[in-house]
Amino acid sequence: MEKIKPFVTMTILGIFLFTMSFLCWIHPAEEFSLSERRKLAKMPKLSAETIVNGSFMKNFETYSQDQFPARESMRSVAAFFSMEILQKKDNHDIYVENSSFAKLDYPLNETSIEYASKRFGLVYEKYLNRDNCNVFLSVVPDKGYFLAKENGYPAMDYGRLCSLLIEEMPYAEYIDIFDTLDADCYYKTDPHWRQEKIYGTAKTIAEAMGVSVSGSYKEASLDVAYKGNYAGQSAIKTESETINYVTNAILDNCVVTNYESNTVGGIYDFDKGNGRDPYEFFLSGPVSLLKIENPTVKNGKKLIVFRDSFGSSIAPYLSEGYNETWLVDIRYLAPEYLDKFLEFDGADVLFIYSTSVLNHSETIK
Amino acid sequence: MLFSGIPFLFYFLPITLVLYAIAPGKLKNPVLVFASLIFYAWGEPKYVILMVATITAGYGFGLLIEKCRKRGRYSGLVFSMGVICVLLSLGFFKYTDFLLGTINSVAKTNISLPCIALPIGISFYSFQLISYLADVYRGEETAQRNYFDLAAYISFFPQLIAGPIVRYGDVAKQLKERKHTPEKISYGAGRFVIGLSKKMLIANVLAEFCQAFYNSGEKSTLLTWGYAIAYSLQVYFDFSGYSDMAIGLGSIFGFEFPENFNYPFISGSVTEFWRRWHMTLGSWFRDYVYIPLGGNRRGTVIHLRNIFVVWALTGLWHGASWNFVVWGLYYAVLLLIDKYCLGKLLSKTGPLKYILTAFATIVGFVIFDSATMKSAMLVFGSMAGLSEYGLLTTEGLYYIRSYGPVMLLAIIGATPLPKKAYSRLKEERTLGSILSLIEPLYLVILLMVCVAYMVDGSFNPFLYFRF
Repeated sequence: MEKIKPFVTMTILGIFLFTMSFLCWIHPAEEFSLSERRKLAKMPKLSAETIVNGSFMKNFETYSQDQFPARESMRSVAAFFSMEILQKKDNHDIYVENSSFAKLDYPLNETSIEYASKRFGLVYEKYLNRDNCNVFLSVVPDKGYFLAKENGYPAMDYGRLCSLLIEEMPYAEYIDIFDTLDADCYYKTDPHWRQEKIYGTAKTIAEAMGVSVSGSYKEASLDVAYKGNYAGQSAIKTESETINYVTNAILDNCVVTNYESNTVGGIYDFDKGNGRDPYEFFLSGPVSLLKIENPTVKNGKKLIVFRDSFGSSIAPYLSEGYNETWLVDIRYLAPEYLDKFLEFDGADVLFIYSTSVLNHSETIK
Repeated sequence: MLFSGIPFLFYFLPITLVLYAIAPGKLKNPVLVFASLIFYAWGEPKYVILMVATITAGYGFGLLIEKCRKRGRYSGLVFSMGVICVLLSLGFFKYTDFLLGTINSVAKTNISLPCIALPIGISFYSFQLISYLADVYRGEETAQRNYFDLAAYISFFPQLIAGPIVRYGDVAKQLKERKHTPEKISYGAGRFVIGLSKKMLIANVLAEFCQAFYNSGEKSTLLTWGYAIAYSLQVYFDFSGYSDMAIGLGSIFGFEFPENFNYPFISGSVTEFWRRWHMTLGSWFRDYVYIPLGGNRRGTVIHLRNIFVVWALTGLWHGASWNFVVWGLYYAVLLLIDKYCLGKLLSKTGPLKYILTAFATIVGFVIFDSATMKSAMLVFGSMAGLSEYGLLTTEGLYYIRSYGPVMLLAIIGATPLPKKAYSRLKEERTLGSILSLIEPLYLVILLMVCVAYMVDGSFNPFLYFRF
């Protein structure tokens, strides 16, 4: 055995090396990573300039990682080794407790909270500081609020986050929704909450704003095997989930105007639901400006929601109480230009943001 | 280009192996030179010219030194000129900013720093070239007449960026004639995979823990201790892993390189530690600085001077910063204490000597990792229980729990225990045969896991490549 072992070792390792090398050379480049929800690097431009300045080599490193054959499988191997063999508690800051994926978000970044509140303050001073505007604030806890502390993971100080925001936004009535939620209200593999589980949360917010929601819905499912953001980022193997949504006659009659794509449609975007990120099924995902018109309600009330992606799935409930519901995402639309698109007079205004976005508010313009 | 990257493993290496294999004997060294320059240019396109200039200067000086030595005149002068040229190059690129920064601090001037980019591996190949010139000057080696053979020695990609520092004498014969056998190739491939695994699966994971420590706003006592131990192990696995890969690749191409590490963490004294850690650097300073200065044979005062000079230079070699000089002098003091005061006493203390040596090593690595002595003192304060966050916070406990298993694996892996245990198991007839049979398989599995980490991770350089 000892005599042939060198030949066997050489052969096996050689086959592995040259086979993988061959595959690297011939593997067709892919555009997009579904699991990571991002574009994959393309082959960098090869020229004398890019060689001399080193950019070709630097970009080729990224390209070779992104375009490696069986990339997803390789990432899963790394995740398995990390979590099961090395017994690490998280992979890329994502951990799993009770089959639910959550992201480590620690510590509280008070500078970030202050920045967010200053941007909201700018909106208030410029547009909302008038007698007939009712301003509300609600904070959506991320899954870590329910999973982190009790399972020994570091967790940000949620109480301090909310009290900081409340302190900086005295013009807004705070609506506490923490008690209306639990870990099961969220997708297992994604940071977002499940629409069918947040009726209670929507009702709390609506009642605080002086409107009502119908409470009567049919539940339907999107025909998609859904694996959320966290599953993709962590590369930890998991089962897929379903995306459920609620419908009734009111919601079915709502008309949604998407000012980014200049299209008109319904609350649920079935094309996006079958696309790269199925959560975009809800109001077409990250859109800077949307209007939901509800012909069923005749109260003349208008709601303007400053929101992040969590707003997409709760806004349909809230729109039941208003003639018009505007959704504004100031991560994509600078607050300075809002008066070009919106009339604020007499509107109820709701700032609803997740703790994740608030703790990393650099994306807010 | 780094060994722990996909471009090296699946683009550069296979092509180089094929070209090398098909090249006739006389062209093998030129192939290695060509491949090494491509390897170097990948990371430092502009500094390839410096590399070629350095090789050319070394070639010219080597021949001239030998010519002068044979004539009995000026060999010392030419040798000095050669060494000065190399040191000037090293000094310019590595120490200009350090020197100017120090002048600014001391003289309160405001000279703007040129921020010169450091050519990768300059510390390693400069030292190799100096050792070549010194060996030719001393008559220990014949000057290399074949430009490509010398270029292959200086630029050879396996050890170009982070060693081991290979003496010319170790490879002179191998440059002319070397054997390529299945045993050497398979040994080299296996050694490469083990080294890559040490880097990717242990060193890089420990680096994550250290990064978590740096980012933490609550550096509790136990978290700080965890960091100090993890960092020490990270440096070891990173650097020894790289050395394993270099030695492994060298073996594939028919070379036998010297070992660079010999389980330094089982040392019972600081003296022993430095006989087991980065051995090629230690022996280089011993042979080319310490002994020429007189070593320990010219009295105690001279000996003390020589120790301090060598260790200050050792510190400076590691980095152009005063904390590295302090680190070097720290070891100078410990070595002198070992030699003149407590060495004999400590050797009789049983297990305590290992604990004390490990402690001294960990303290040394904290200094090594600190940007300033002030930050090092803060770390020491925390280790001594003076952290405002107490013994442990939730965050600290989390990271220790998360990285504890890999730290334990690293601690065990840093000893000869796994190797001894494996050797003992192989002595069993049936089990030994099974282990021999599956050895190639688990090497492939390890390699695949390393590649998985490469794909999943981001660009990540060896710690020592900045030297």
